[in-house]
Amino acid sequence: MTAKKWIARLAIAAMAATALASPAWAFQEAPMLTEMVKAGSLPPVDERLPTNPTVVDALSVGQYGGTWHRAYSGPGDRWGPTKLMEERVLKWTADPNGEAVLKPGYIESYSVNDTSTEFTFTLLDGLKWSDGHPVTTEDVAFWYNDVFLNPAIVPNIDPTFAPGGVPMQVEIKDARTFTVKFAQPYVYFLQILAKDSTGEPSLDRPSFLFPKHYLSQYNDKYASEAELEAAAKKFNVAKWTDLWGSKGAATAWWSNPDLPVLTAWKIETPAPAEIVTMVRNPYYYAVDQEGNQLPYVDRIEHKLYQDPETLALMVAQGQIDMQARGMNLDNYTFYKENEERGNYKVVPGRDSNVWSIIPNLTVKDPVLQDLFQNADFRQALSVAVDREAIVELTQSGLAKAMAVAPVNGSPYHKDELSAHWAEYDPENADALLDGLGLTERDKDGFRLRSDGQRLSLAIESSDAAHAKTLELLSGMYAEVGIELLPRIIDRTQWDNNRDNNDFQLQWIPFDRLTYVPADPRLMLGSQSYGTEYFKWYQTDGESGIEPPKGSAILAMFDAWDRASQAKSIEEADAAVNEMIATFVDQGYAIGVYGEGVLVNIVSNKMHNVQADLVQDDITRGVGIARTQQFWLDQN
Amino acid sequence: MTAFILRRALLAIPTLIFISFIAFVIIQLPPGDYITAYAAELRHQGEYITEAQEAALRAQYGLSDPLLVQYWRWISNIVFRGDFGYSLHWNAPVSSLIWDRLSITLAISAVSLVFTWLIAIPVGVYSATRQYSVLDYVFTVFGFLGKGTPDFLLALILMWISFVYLNLDVGGLFSARYQHAPWSLDKVLDLLSHVWIPLVVLATGGAAGLIRVMRANMLDELGKPYVETAYAQGLSESKVVWNYPVRVALNPFISTVGWALPALFSGDIITAVVLNLPTTGPLLLQALKMQDMYLAGSFILILSAFTVIGTLISDVLLAWFDPRIRYA
Repeated sequence: MTAKKWIARLAIAAMAATALASPAWAFQEAPMLTEMVKAGSLPPVDERLPTNPTVVDALSVGQYGGTWHRAYSGPGDRWGPTKLMEERVLKWTADPNGEAVLKPGYIESYSVNDTSTEFTFTLLDGLKWSDGHPVTTEDVAFWYNDVFLNPAIVPNIDPTFAPGGVPMQVEIKDARTFTVKFAQPYVYFLQILAKDSTGEPSLDRPSFLFPKHYLSQYNDKYASEAELEAAAKKFNVAKWTDLWGSKGAATAWWSNPDLPVLTAWKIETPAPAEIVTMVRNPYYYAVDQEGNQLPYVDRIEHKLYQDPETLALMVAQGQIDMQARGMNLDNYTFYKENEERGNYKVVPGRDSNVWSIIPNLTVKDPVLQDLFQNADFRQALSVAVDREAIVELTQSGLAKAMAVAPVNGSPYHKDELSAHWAEYDPENADALLDGLGLTERDKDGFRLRSDGQRLSLAIESSDAAHAKTLELLSGMYAEVGIELLPRIIDRTQWDNNRDNNDFQLQWIPFDRLTYVPADPRLMLGSQSYGTEYFKWYQTDGESGIEPPKGSAILAMFDAWDRASQAKSIEEADAAVNEMIATFVDQGYAIGVYGEGVLVNIVSNKMHNVQADLVQDDITRGVGIARTQQFWLDQN
Repeated sequence: MTAFILRRALLAIPTLIFISFIAFVIIQLPPGDYITAYAAELRHQGEYITEAQEAALRAQYGLSDPLLVQYWRWISNIVFRGDFGYSLHWNAPVSSLIWDRLSITLAISAVSLVFTWLIAIPVGVYSATRQYSVLDYVFTVFGFLGKGTPDFLLALILMWISFVYLNLDVGGLFSARYQHAPWSLDKVLDLLSHVWIPLVVLATGGAAGLIRVMRANMLDELGKPYVETAYAQGLSESKVVWNYPVRVALNPFISTVGWALPALFSGDIITAVVLNLPTTGPLLLQALKMQDMYLAGSFILILSAFTVIGTLISDVLLAWFDPRIRYA
């Protein structure tokens, strides 16, 4: 799909949202809420919904009620529950064909000026917080002036929201309309919003909005020092600033049941409970095509599990209604065997990762550094890998042999990029290595480096599940005279080695290959082949290592600079495509297999879960499947 | 006696201070800190936070402060306010995490300890008094098998059998529908259908070792002259065995009560992880892995306090139980 089509699609989606909603509808609500209305504890549904609620086209109109059971692995897994119900001004959603489309959420309309420096949003008329309080631009002004620009809460503004070093400006037009302004063009801002929202401390929250009527009591512009101290005490934290942030005691939706939210569900029993529960938000702003207020499902329960195998057991025992997180392709056969017993189906999703060998271009060993920086050596490493064999032996044939490049379904995908250096050709690898002067061999048949040592490379993985793959790779490299030493190490150590420029090769899942410009850091070397180079780029040369003169990575940095300052999306996409082409052409990351099957466990009672959806952090994992229109059979 | 207890109790204080400091330092020894571990965990799940966000979190939790400052912040709150601090990972006060799980842990461990003794003592006595009999060999074989099989493996095997052949709901302590239900007969039955696996696993693992200890102690005692004298006096076998050698052979059990107390608290960690039990063990493991130092540190501090108290109790018990020690 070309970039133009994407823009067109955005525009159509925006129009559709406004055109479809017609105020003449009578709205329906969940029986659980009807009871509350009858009891007088809740106003009727027409008063709770916006005048023109956002319409979510459910795959099929569902039944209300039920509890969606799933599992979570502990506090670090809280983005699992979060991604089920994230709200953004524009959110990636799957269209009926499973393609990702940006659709407006709690806004009525939006517009972008010609130079992509001003973005204007209009909130839905009659939008309400989960406690019934109206949402207005006062909440936007509160977020902007008292949170975003408040150094006590946000000491450093993330560069993402301050391109060119100038923080974004927010101008309030009226009670529902506000404009966001940047000092320079920012064509990918909407995509970045769809991924990161408005950054810390609203990372897990709707963009641009904080409930002023509730949170001002915890803000230093409104509350006295004594009041703040009392509040910190009430939440059992050391100082009032601990109340804020995506992990803050007061502002994290995950830990504070009193916090007003916009999301389809809100927290009812927070962690550290054995079972964390979420309950429907009676004021949720969206309806289905027949005017039924969403979500369909009453409650979501997350049961704590300690070990991945326990999760597999929960699946087989039918304790999971819908979950992809934590599921493992290694257990594929087990999941399939127990489908009948657990009354579920395995619904495939599309993994957007490409599992790759990452050479460290700034490795401390000077001989290896020279080799890794040589494109011929990287090509030899790439063509020496028999990808088909690895896919067959380790992935049950459920993945594709490929190079690291934007995956199928990404607007930047090109078949020739995915096939780059991905053909198995050991003779060519031998020839390339010989051409580099690595002709001498020791008695075991391994090549010798220029300093006379054996050419051996250590490859690190953080997960024992990949040991088999690494062993296979080791055999393939031995064929061309390179000794590959697999190392399975602790995850923290594995990450630290990368941060500290202390590894030779690493085995990583290369992700964020869908909408690349929403987060191009990995492709630019960060946390990957050129961590030190990226540090140098990001800090304007203050730290990190400067790439060699004329290096292709400088061309990539330059291309990204041009893309991030382009005035039009065409111009920006041209530069992004240039960056991607250079990255693939240089073979900085050696892709082995990707676009594998992702296991989604879906109970036979659960409806409206689409198959073959792409899973990526950029498109917010399961969020793309529009969880509010999932429903559970009540018969 | 009172002076003895008092002196021991006073000695415990510097021991605890020393342990708390060492524990805190060791938890912090691995490279990185909680935020590094947190970012790594997120990355593993395909989520990313920027370096600016990491820095903000670090500042918020005071992780950039010197180690001594962090230690003081933690220990002074415990000493002066009884506040164990805040778990960074769980975003909740440490006390709310530990005490919630402690009752279940103590119940499971105590019941399994009782089972262990109920199995180990009679079997050990029988094996010693009927040395090299058929049953002795049978018990010995089972003893070695039980000692040689890791607890978690036994747990996995039992889970597999109950899952595949008995069609039981396994893992955890309750089925999903009873988790939040009020106590009823059905809920108790549901608990029993879950709790037998951990009890069997923990009891057999412990009993296997104790049978060997009991048998060896008894064999030492049975040959001694006082036993022969007792027989010569015409006392019945049961009277001789249970009144004299067994009492002496129990000494090692009593002196290890001190170790049983912290073991009760930490539970059998791997078994608990495998069985998905809501006990304290998995919480400690997770805290150590994540470098959640206030939670892990408080855990270790409480464990050490229990060890110290446990040792004190076993000393007192031993003195009370064995007149030879009391008058020595």
